[in-house]
Amino acid sequence: MRAFIYGIGVQWKLDLRNKGILITYYLVPLVFFGFMGMIFTSINPEMKDTLIQTMTIFAFSMGAFLGTPSSISEMYSGDIKKAFKVGGIPLWAGAVNHFISAFIHLLITGIIIYIIAPFAFDAKLPENPVLYFISTAVFLMVNISIGTVLGLYVKSPAKLTMFAQLLFLPSLMLSGIMFPTNMLPKAVAVVGYALPATWGLKLMTESELNILNIVILLLFFTGAVIISSYKLAKIGID
Amino acid sequence: MGAAIEVENLVKSYGNNTVLKGLSFRAEQGEIFALLGANGAGKTTTLECIEGIRGYNDGKIIVNGKIGVQLQSSSLPANITALEAFRLFGRWNKAKEDLTILDNLGAGEFKNKQYRTLSTGQKRRLHLAIALLHNPDIIFLDEPTAGLDVEGRISLHNEIRKLKTAGKTIIMASHDMAEVESLCDRIAIMKEGKLAFLGSSHELTGEYYGESKILIKTEHQVPEFKLECSVPLSMEQNYYCITTKNISEALLEILTKLKEADNEVLDIKIERATLEQRFMEIAKEGK
Repeated sequence: MRAFIYGIGVQWKLDLRNKGILITYYLVPLVFFGFMGMIFTSINPEMKDTLIQTMTIFAFSMGAFLGTPSSISEMYSGDIKKAFKVGGIPLWAGAVNHFISAFIHLLITGIIIYIIAPFAFDAKLPENPVLYFISTAVFLMVNISIGTVLGLYVKSPAKLTMFAQLLFLPSLMLSGIMFPTNMLPKAVAVVGYALPATWGLKLMTESELNILNIVILLLFFTGAVIISSYKLAKIGID
Repeated sequence: MGAAIEVENLVKSYGNNTVLKGLSFRAEQGEIFALLGANGAGKTTTLECIEGIRGYNDGKIIVNGKIGVQLQSSSLPANITALEAFRLFGRWNKAKEDLTILDNLGAGEFKNKQYRTLSTGQKRRLHLAIALLHNPDIIFLDEPTAGLDVEGRISLHNEIRKLKTAGKTIIMASHDMAEVESLCDRIAIMKEGKLAFLGSSHELTGEYYGESKILIKTEHQVPEFKLECSVPLSMEQNYYCITTKNISEALLEILTKLKEADNEVLDIKIERATLEQRFMEIAKEGK
């Protein structure tokens, strides 16, 4: 347990030293939040009601799909995994450390947005903060678990970027965080239901817990954990 | 002394390609054992099977003791410092933190530098320190001095000798024959997934496995004569050259003949084949 906790601490520091991670976990999401906070709320003042939720979903999707996978892929597709294996570090530890470290970093970004938005853009705070943070944590877990699957399965950095964008861009456009889903063509809106961001936005904007939203997100999470575990077991045998 | 490692009829295939074809050998406790072979001979696969990072199809491997491994191609996260890496591996192995291991290998001076900024030699020293941190009984070194400067090599050779003195068994793969000759007690040469030679470096370079050259310089020209135990006489830079498998018989015979001819011997040199030549003969030509 001591080794595991130390590993999380090391991974957290490694993420802070990684420029790519800092850009995708903090810099771009917060700069985007600044710009969009100004633009969205001046174009459509109703956006103030969901600014915290939409910008948090943007930050989590960006960090988990564009940041986390590259770091995991670097570890599992190269010689690092061999060094871990012969050095007595279980392969699952690397993935779990990445997961927890990403969770902490991105949660910090989410908290920064939560604190700044009301002061800077007169954004409305969620009615039920406890439910909001539980929803936020669940959505974040789902996103990072999907990012972990990407990092474990896609070895080539070019392909990784492509697959990450295939998840990230539709999450932005089809989930309702940029445009209301009722303005989208029906067929496109249906595709949006295959994305965690759609369910995450529903969950985080509701004042009462809707079990369906949370069950669907937990299904995404369970699926990603099973797929990741299978891959880690396979890497271990190889 | 018992066996540190026993390998019996090891078979490993990658698809239809059988890389190890019934390989058997044993390394004794406390010895430095070298595994040599041309590229593709199967030595890295053999090491990886023994180290437990690769499965095998048939055969048996017995490892008597804790192992520490320094891989030839190994890496760590780019931004981790040497000290963080040392501590991380140490904690997973429940090893007592002993920073003198880093210092003894000259890794203490760069312990706060990030992995991506380390030179090849520094990375090798760090990986060796990590391999040693849990006080293993058997240490695997794959090309331990590759990329090291002369000072680094000497320092690492001394560390390897100290490990042997401490009773550790060292299994190493190397392409550096001088290193193997200077460090190793026994050598195994692999060829096409099988063992082609097993013995000491002296046995490998000795008479049994090859020919030696006797070079003689005399006062007068040597008359035509033929030795029973050698190939005919030839000239090499003012020396008469006799190539033979039996040095003592050939030398006795030629000295006797020269004495009979009253031809004074000015100089005698005996050249035995180097480890590298023997390795090439066995590993490449199959002699």
